[in-house]
Amino acid sequence: MESNAGTLATRSNKTALEREEVAALESLQFTDEIHCLMSAPATDNASSFTALLELPAPQAVQLIHSPDSAKLIAAPAPNVEDFKGGFHFPSNGGLIERAARFSVFAGEGNNKSDSPEATSNNSSANLQKAVKSEPAETDSSQPLISDPTVENRGIKRKDPEKVKGQTKKSKTTVKESSDDTEKLPYVHVRARRGQATDSHSLAERARREKINARMKLLQELVPGCNKISGTALVLDEIINHVQSLQRQVEFLSMRLAAVNPRVDFNFDSVFTAESGFFMDSNFSGMVMPMMWPEIQLSATCLGERRSLQ
Amino acid sequence: MNNPHHLNPTSLKSRFTTRFLRALTKIRAQKPISSSSPTEIFRRYRRIKVAADKSMAYSVRSRRIWSRAMLWKLRSRSYRRQDPCSGRRSGKTNQAIMKKSSNENTTTRREDGVGFVEEADELRQLVPGGETMNLCNLLDETAHYIKCLTTQVQLFSPIGKG
Repeated sequence: MESNAGTLATRSNKTALEREEVAALESLQFTDEIHCLMSAPATDNASSFTALLELPAPQAVQLIHSPDSAKLIAAPAPNVEDFKGGFHFPSNGGLIERAARFSVFAGEGNNKSDSPEATSNNSSANLQKAVKSEPAETDSSQPLISDPTVENRGIKRKDPEKVKGQTKKSKTTVKESSDDTEKLPYVHVRARRGQATDSHSLAERARREKINARMKLLQELVPGCNKISGTALVLDEIINHVQSLQRQVEFLSMRLAAVNPRVDFNFDSVFTAESGFFMDSNFSGMVMPMMWPEIQLSATCLGERRSLQ
Repeated sequence: MNNPHHLNPTSLKSRFTTRFLRALTKIRAQKPISSSSPTEIFRRYRRIKVAADKSMAYSVRSRRIWSRAMLWKLRSRSYRRQDPCSGRRSGKTNQAIMKKSSNENTTTRREDGVGFVEEADELRQLVPGGETMNLCNLLDETAHYIKCLTTQVQLFSPIGKG
């Protein structure tokens, strides 16, 4: 994947958008496909971008804010703002569609991987055409990019390593950010609009998102945590749960210790799915005011019981 | 011990059950309870608790930070009991002990920049070996720890119901 990135990177006349798209595509590991497509350059210059954009597209999104742009994919609107302006990208309707689809992911981490897979088969033909024309286009017509904002991004995103496409998170928004850019070679996290982009905040944001993902898992584990909003409260709930579990184990092992050892373990029954132990137990010596349904004991109850022993 | 009905012979549950039952039978074989005095019971309780912790930690091996910490704690405890001058036994033991003491005395607050410091510290005290974890790993370990504790409770709770 690195070598593919290298080849792509060496086309220094690439536009920012192309690079983004290729990065987005690569990040989804279509590199083999792209690579063999890129190696067989063919030109399809005849049609203009806008003409191809009017290809029958399944869904629509406002990729380009120019009046004659076609809507390609339905997605949350502000996602694809760098297609703004008269961005002429000939014969790349399919490519843009795919890239935009890949890159649209405002928080839909998993969904993103599904939809490209689904459409990949459909648009592979388009992609072929699109990608083939890509190198031709870059070589032949640079002045296509007339949009100043796109220029801006082109200037900002000079690093060829950008194309390495190993995005740190699986998010590759193609959003236009006014203060965008990761100038560092190995930070592949894309900033969203209006967010700070120095390495510290990016790393922090990545960490925060990891932490949030894990908190979600924990919320599922701990019963009754789904309704609580606010991470501090959820953490409190988790702490309570862990404490109660530990106390339960203590209490149950105490009960085990108290049980008279003249018991017959029925081992086979232990391994049946739900039954647990069957014990012929004799509680002669121990006074344990048990109330079996109250297995889910609160801390205070446990304290009382222990003091009774 | 054949477990034909069990869902997965290598799952955590089955591993833990096997080990714990083995330990339990050993304990029961050791001391045939004649008297049920509270002290006797308490002593056995301690042993059973240690057995439960140990079998849980061994079932998880060293795959988790908390299980590793628990194993070290158990080993250091057994070493200390056998040999009073256990300082030379293992450097890791000292490390563990020092970590514990440092946790109590100094305020090694990990300001992760996320703002959950108090809760995170509490959680670190609950989860074995939690002091050395940043928040990310702590949450991971907590999830696994909760899963293991629930398994334990599930296995223990039918005891005495009959």
